[in-house]
Amino acid sequence: MAELIEFPKKVVGKAGLALLEPVLHWPVHSVDDFGRDPHLIGMLSPLAKLRWDVSVGGTRHLPVRGGALLVCNSRRWALNAVYAALALSEATGRPVRFVGRPDVAPIGPFMRRIGGLLARPDEVLGALRNHELVLMSSEGTNHARHAGPVDHHLISAAVVSGSPVFPVATMSSAVSRAARAEVGPQVRPRRKRKGPLAEVELAEQVQHHLQRMLDGFGGMQTGVAPIDWLAEG
Amino acid sequence: MGGELGSLIAAQLEAEPWVGALVGIDVDPPRRRLRKAEFHLLQPSQRDRIVDVVTSFNPHVLINVSVWEPDARASLTHARQFTADATKAIVGAAAECPALESMVLRSGLEIYGRERNAATRPTENAPLHPTTEYGKMLANIEQSAREVGRRVGIAVGKLRLAPVLGKHVPSPLGRVLRQPVVPFSMMADAPFAVIEDGDAARAFVAAAAQRLDEPLNIVAPGAITALQAVLRGRRVPLPLVGPEWALARRLSHLFGAPIPDHVVELMHRGRLGDGSRARETLGFEPRLSTPEVIDHLYAWESVVRIGSIREVA
Repeated sequence: MAELIEFPKKVVGKAGLALLEPVLHWPVHSVDDFGRDPHLIGMLSPLAKLRWDVSVGGTRHLPVRGGALLVCNSRRWALNAVYAALALSEATGRPVRFVGRPDVAPIGPFMRRIGGLLARPDEVLGALRNHELVLMSSEGTNHARHAGPVDHHLISAAVVSGSPVFPVATMSSAVSRAARAEVGPQVRPRRKRKGPLAEVELAEQVQHHLQRMLDGFGGMQTGVAPIDWLAEG
Repeated sequence: MGGELGSLIAAQLEAEPWVGALVGIDVDPPRRRLRKAEFHLLQPSQRDRIVDVVTSFNPHVLINVSVWEPDARASLTHARQFTADATKAIVGAAAECPALESMVLRSGLEIYGRERNAATRPTENAPLHPTTEYGKMLANIEQSAREVGRRVGIAVGKLRLAPVLGKHVPSPLGRVLRQPVVPFSMMADAPFAVIEDGDAARAFVAAAAQRLDEPLNIVAPGAITALQAVLRGRRVPLPLVGPEWALARRLSHLFGAPIPDHVVELMHRGRLGDGSRARETLGFEPRLSTPEVIDHLYAWESVVRIGSIREVA
């Protein structure tokens, strides 16, 4: 009787396995608590490196263990948060999650697999409370060296969880692979506040720090002026 | 106490030094040998008998796991009816027990719902917007218990379990994943977490011991997607895009593994939960991670062969 029950399962199983042999030999891993898939990231990193050659600096400022909120500047359509998160993950050896994935298939689930979080304060708070490094971006601008306003609602997650906030100045070119991600020292609030002013002021300070770091970067210098102008956006 | 989870909880409670007498009610007899517990075989619809048993025992702690997951042991209509009847009888009886200090309820991560832009990994503070029938059933249970707790002034602990998998646990998710061909959402293939039945039982015992008075997510660490689970189990993955899910659900039902809406939602939108508060509050650490529970799921024999019975002189 047991053989009879097992028979159709065995037949279907064998036929399917023969057809899907290549797929089944694909390395099988699981994802982490937030849905990030390090194996997929490992597979995609050569592709990412074809587009961006990121030089990373200032990672000594980041905590070795605890959670931290990193804030980068963003130029529209430049995917600053994505390449900076991937590069910082590689440089620090810790997963860096970026904020701002959409919740629509197939892009949303794909971005979740490469470390994306929804742009919700509770989502960021959950990650920070679990001692994760989270990278959010400021509002997008049209200029590579302008830091847009920083969303204080997201910064509130760092205030509530007591996590440090670090600016990350990023710059990439639309015409070359060269990109840069520089982590600045921790931004400490000037005044101690009990209420929501804490995150509003901290967000403004972070924007200010980012702008100062971007000013220090200088413009693109490829030696070909028109390319530099293009890269300036 | 007759279901696998109830039997496991009863067996673990019997070993606890703080537990004196133990009484259980279920529609099925216990699946384990219980030495101390007294068992009553009652249907959820027998409200008067249930109230009699509970009030005459007059417990200090009441654990309610009488939740029928749709398509686990009963169809959706029956599951809804049984759960509503059992909740009415047990939670109602709890209010009549003068010695009662605490009530611990079974709930689930389905209660948070997975509408668009809902938190991916909700904490216990996340708003409750159930988007499936099972989620709505759980929300009703929590609401009833909350009201009773407020009225009679008892602690109400709610354990929001990730999908429970175990050797003998009837689970629609477990059944679907163990089929030879398993459908998965090609466009999303979202991650989910689970919990092993033994770990879930330990959480109930810890919550009862501490007279828990808040909701807690009970989730095994790690996560897995449906495709990853299928490949781990060396099953044949069947990628589906959207409209053909209706057909797949019907076919799966025919083959004995119905796929209820909360399992479809799990495959499309994922089901994760932040279980860190359970660690802080109860000191609860699941023994098995999500990928390990899935590996165990595939390691179980689908047909248990028992050798011929020989008479021994």
